[in-house]
Amino acid sequence: MIVVRAPLRISFVGGGTDLPDFYFRHPGRVLSTTIDKYVYIVINRTPLIDKVSARYSLSETVDAPDELQHTRIKHALIDFGIAKNIEIGSFASLPAKTGLGSSSSFSVALIKGLYSYQKKNIDKTGVAEAACRLEIDLLGEPIGKQDQYAAAFGGFNVFQFNPDDSVDVHPVFLDYKMRRMIEDHLLLFYTGIARPASSVLFEQKANIGGKFETLKSMADSVPEFTERLTRGDIQGLGSMLHDGWTMKKTLASNISLDSIDALYGAGMDAGAFGGKVLGAGGGGCMMFFAPPERKKVVRNTISEAARSMGLSEFKEIPVEFVQSSAEVLLNADNHRARGASSEIA
Amino acid sequence: MPIITERAARLRKLRNAMREYIKNFSEKARTALSEIPADEVARALNILQAAYERDGRIYVFGNGGSLALATHWVSDFNKTVFSHNLEKHTRRFQAIRVPTTEEELTAWANDVGYDMVFAGPLQNYLQDSDVAIAISSSGNSPNVIKAVELAKSRYVPVIGISGFDGGALNRLADAKILVSTEKGEYEVVEGVHAVILHLMTKYFKDYFDDLEEREKKQR
Repeated sequence: MIVVRAPLRISFVGGGTDLPDFYFRHPGRVLSTTIDKYVYIVINRTPLIDKVSARYSLSETVDAPDELQHTRIKHALIDFGIAKNIEIGSFASLPAKTGLGSSSSFSVALIKGLYSYQKKNIDKTGVAEAACRLEIDLLGEPIGKQDQYAAAFGGFNVFQFNPDDSVDVHPVFLDYKMRRMIEDHLLLFYTGIARPASSVLFEQKANIGGKFETLKSMADSVPEFTERLTRGDIQGLGSMLHDGWTMKKTLASNISLDSIDALYGAGMDAGAFGGKVLGAGGGGCMMFFAPPERKKVVRNTISEAARSMGLSEFKEIPVEFVQSSAEVLLNADNHRARGASSEIA
Repeated sequence: MPIITERAARLRKLRNAMREYIKNFSEKARTALSEIPADEVARALNILQAAYERDGRIYVFGNGGSLALATHWVSDFNKTVFSHNLEKHTRRFQAIRVPTTEEELTAWANDVGYDMVFAGPLQNYLQDSDVAIAISSSGNSPNVIKAVELAKSRYVPVIGISGFDGGALNRLADAKILVSTEKGEYEVVEGVHAVILHLMTKYFKDYFDDLEEREKKQR
């Protein structure tokens, strides 16, 4: 058995500039960090069972990968040339569709695990590229590349998406004091509104031509954000988040909803420096930077607003930043087990 | 000149030469210290942080004085880092010097070859979740490089602590901590290596103290 995990992420600025329609014209940039919430993938070799099993909210057991309903596992297995004798399960700290990049964390962990399963090694860039290929090329999702890189590399990073499709990774070095200071100013809420990323991104993608200048200024704000981050200018970061979110809302009609605007407004009225909705938008998680002494008021005000709107799933998500990336936690796979040899190339 | 004054002058000259020697050495050490590559040390601290988060192990090795540095660091990192809250921190770092026994060292050296004294034993332990720290002043010790290549082949992160021009170790390592000096300045290089290793210990000691402080406030 192999156990792999990959962290979820919070992206601060530049989201949307990781889409090819943009970065083919101008380098995209995103600053993000991984957090202490994970997707776990468990891979079990079943030499005596000539089936493929996928265990998640559903439990599937089929004769061949192409019969699987779980599209990520299905396409990954086909791509890896694994036809049978395998069981794959997934577990997560948080539900899907929160805007914390969990679907890419899933792909990244799955790919890392399948490499181990085939007794092959892969570096961080390789994992990120393979996850992008799975999600964008094989599954045809209209998503960018920032989440795969965030989960594959771990920690605070600036990712630059170049027109030639290469990605530069620049770690942002923050000591524990600075990380803690930022955590002490951060509030993260799940809005209780499930986020339909694809529909938002489809419209956003179609709009890229007309919104090029907006996206360009979002990408170009990343160096300044990074500079303020290393200086610990949280108030400045808050107002930059606010500006970024205001810009992002203009990219597609469904990035924000009245209910999201109301929640966000409640947070700002209660004294937050600024914030944004995480991920593609249209729901998911909302983040604020606020003075530590105002956090309680922000928390109470926004919770009250959510309650009055009937958002029963609304909740605060406590977070700490981590340095973790996609990692094999346990590899107790016995490929020499009797009956298993046929699976090894 | 009276004989007494002449002797005093000679002594003074000698003393001055001695002062000069000490000053020269200190100056070299000071220069090397001031040029510690901060970003690479930061990268190394991040690698160690990630290893702690996934409960991975840290294997450290080197020859001669570098092996002594490795052993000293293991003791500090496993215990001193948590010394203010030993009983609270049941989950601590797992730093291990390789090879762990003289018996293994001599067995590999005698039976297989001196090239394999680190890579041989490391192969027994190494898991995907681990980290390797290689210490070599020249960066070219064949036995150190063999072990680094083993770690690299598995994509296990390598922190390379080297001197002179860094050699092969500095090229291969993920965190390239090079104490850049003229070739052969072992004393300066090993001295600064000790400082860097202590910096790593101190950083995590402060980090865990701070964490404790934070939890106290929240209680």
